[in-house]
Amino acid sequence: MNGNRVLVVAAAMLAATHAGAALADWEPAGPITLEVGFAAGGETDTIGRAIAASMEEATGWDVVVQNKPGGGGVAMFTGLATADPDGLTVGMGVSMPVLINLVLRGDKLPFTLDSFDYLATVARAQLAIVAKADAPFDDVKGLVEYAGANDGTVIAFDAKPQELLVKTINQSGADLRLLSTKSSAEAVQSVLGGHVAAAFAAGVHIPFLESGDLKMLASANATRHAYAPDTMTLIEQGWDIYTDPFFYIAAPAGLPDDAKGALASALSDAIASTTVNEIVVNALKTETSNLGADGTRTMLDDSLEVVGVLLANDN
Amino acid sequence: MVDLATILAGLGDAFSPINLLFVLGGVVLGQFVGALPGIGPVMAMAIAIPFTFVLDPLPAIAFLIGVNKGGLVGGAIPAVLINTPGTPDAAATALDGYPLSKRGKPLKATKMALYASVTGDTFSDIVLITVAAPLAVVALKTGPVEILALMIFAFSIIAGLVGDSIVKGVIATALGILCATIGLDPEHSTPRLYFGFFELYDGLPLAAVAIGMLVVAEILRRLAAMQGEMRPPLPRKDTQVAADRRVSLAEYWGCRFTMLRGAAIGTVLGALPGIGSTAAGFMSYAAAKQASKDPESFGKGNIHGIAATESANSAVVGANLIPLLTLGIPGSVSAALIISAFMIQGIQPGPLLFEQQGRLIYGLFGAMIMANLVNFWVGQLGLRFWVRVVRAPESIVFSTALLLCIVGVFMSTGGLFGVSIMLIAAAVGYVMHAFGYSVIIFIIAFFLGSRFELSLSQAMVILDGKPARLIEHPVALGLLLLALLSIYWLGVRAPRKQRQRNANG
Repeated sequence: MNGNRVLVVAAAMLAATHAGAALADWEPAGPITLEVGFAAGGETDTIGRAIAASMEEATGWDVVVQNKPGGGGVAMFTGLATADPDGLTVGMGVSMPVLINLVLRGDKLPFTLDSFDYLATVARAQLAIVAKADAPFDDVKGLVEYAGANDGTVIAFDAKPQELLVKTINQSGADLRLLSTKSSAEAVQSVLGGHVAAAFAAGVHIPFLESGDLKMLASANATRHAYAPDTMTLIEQGWDIYTDPFFYIAAPAGLPDDAKGALASALSDAIASTTVNEIVVNALKTETSNLGADGTRTMLDDSLEVVGVLLANDN
Repeated sequence: MVDLATILAGLGDAFSPINLLFVLGGVVLGQFVGALPGIGPVMAMAIAIPFTFVLDPLPAIAFLIGVNKGGLVGGAIPAVLINTPGTPDAAATALDGYPLSKRGKPLKATKMALYASVTGDTFSDIVLITVAAPLAVVALKTGPVEILALMIFAFSIIAGLVGDSIVKGVIATALGILCATIGLDPEHSTPRLYFGFFELYDGLPLAAVAIGMLVVAEILRRLAAMQGEMRPPLPRKDTQVAADRRVSLAEYWGCRFTMLRGAAIGTVLGALPGIGSTAAGFMSYAAAKQASKDPESFGKGNIHGIAATESANSAVVGANLIPLLTLGIPGSVSAALIISAFMIQGIQPGPLLFEQQGRLIYGLFGAMIMANLVNFWVGQLGLRFWVRVVRAPESIVFSTALLLCIVGVFMSTGGLFGVSIMLIAAAVGYVMHAFGYSVIIFIIAFFLGSRFELSLSQAMVILDGKPARLIEHPVALGLLLLALLSIYWLGVRAPRKQRQRNANG
């Protein structure tokens, strides 16, 4: 056997394995980078790392997590939009900050919703409106009346969508002043300390509900929360508004179908795994919820519309 | 209330060999990354958190707190030895630590930093363990208006550091505040001064600016001063007599009021969210300088300057846990990381924590006290190591430091963008220093500027834009009055006395 024939055989074998792989299953050509749009150590980062670890274990691929903080994920998606759609770069972010920036200053953003192929959602953050347990009101209508009787009152928030919700409520003549805080914890602290009448809270408030220090006025999501099934949503209380911040995973647009399918199914397995679910439950007080590749896009389109309506009330 | 059996069980957990091993590992790692310029304990904690998921809660949290405590000791070491603070907290440590080292007393300077750090840390841990619950109520009652007044009071004291030229001090402050306004505005999230870089939405990355200004600028200065020969960054003096290599009991005891004041400042600022250990270090330093009979000796190697800063910045760590454990409120970035570590273990810090997890909490308290002891012993060994490291030629020491800065900033800001910011900050810092503008003043204004803006806007909302409603906030009024007194005392009375002295002498 001469050298040439060896080469030919080797090449043929290589081609065969390659073709076989493409038929049976997509394999990444190198390590996959999962870019997280937030700084290391936060909940998005922790969940992202758990997903990466779970994917590695199940598929044998290398999945490397990289933090790209800035602008609530906008900095990361800006870079992701121009990455090669080879399935080796995916990004994880939160829907609300991205959508708000798309509506507010879409002309300045180098991407649109079409710049990405969507792979999965991980979970929906739960947002509540809370007040001190001894407050003289039990729902948002009561809060608005209390504000009217007291020359206005203050509500603490920590993200733009919450500000927009309150501004929409104020459209109907309510006098709620907005106190901006750095975190949900700080917002809850200002309620507990008696500095404000109510606050938005994303999980920090749950132990205070148990201890009887706080009560929940409303769910600010589209549906009620599992831990407080009797508290109505804002929609049920008469305001047709909500905010559903989803943690989701996307890749640059133009991903080949086999890669998209393989990544979506690997992510789906990882998100359904017990470790990831446990971390999500611990960090966000809610189960994982994966809408799937198509469902993620539908959710984003729907949310974009809601954000547009909310921002129309921004002034 | 937690019963004695739970407390004993918790302490028993803390002293189990496996937990002690994690405490030791955390402290060693913390001191090491703290001492490396550019890679701080915050980053080490952030990277470690996802891995702590596989551990039991106690070793996981004890490990992270060990990293945090070790980092504050470690950060002082390069500040003292080569004038490049490993963490921004130690920026004020360099003010007196480095001159003392240059005078041939690096061991005395680093040891004073270590002793003061462990003293301040232990003080605030004891406060946490004994009176966390009442202090938490105080923290809760401290609303935005009170925080704003407290910050104004702190500024009135820190202003004493402004230096000889008030004009240059004001310019440095204005520049710091201007840089702090970059990014989303705190009220309506409108991006400001971002020039199309979405990376700047959250503001200039603190780590990149601090490392650029404090560390890389110093490296550039050393580079400019190099003359081609091989010499260590610190003049080697083998004639160091024994008294210059240690801190005597008399010297330590002489600093007791300075350290107590520092520990108290650190504990108060640590128990309240948002102000942080860097500000505590500077405030304590400025207060020590003003309380001193010999303020002229500050900045020239006065051990009180080291003791003041280190006792205050380390006291913040223990005090941060007061609002964290009792209310679930993080007082700083590292505290926020500890909360996420609790959360991924399925434990929500807050009002029910002591009831539901009493054993874990007392285990944690035991681990914290152990971490202080370990910090002391590891520090004793470690600082000898670092003093030796800086005997290497400065070309090696500083090029390694520069590399570490780049790697550290790359990792913490997620790319080369942060590195560019670091290099720009270094150039600005270099120029500022060359023209006699205080980089320290810039850093303080930059670090506290955005929090101050937020507090101001919060206070305006609470007061409904009516200053007269301050009447409803007597504590804030008291603090503002103190600020006025301090301005009179330091800005009017002290200079007048100084002039009288000069006239007489």
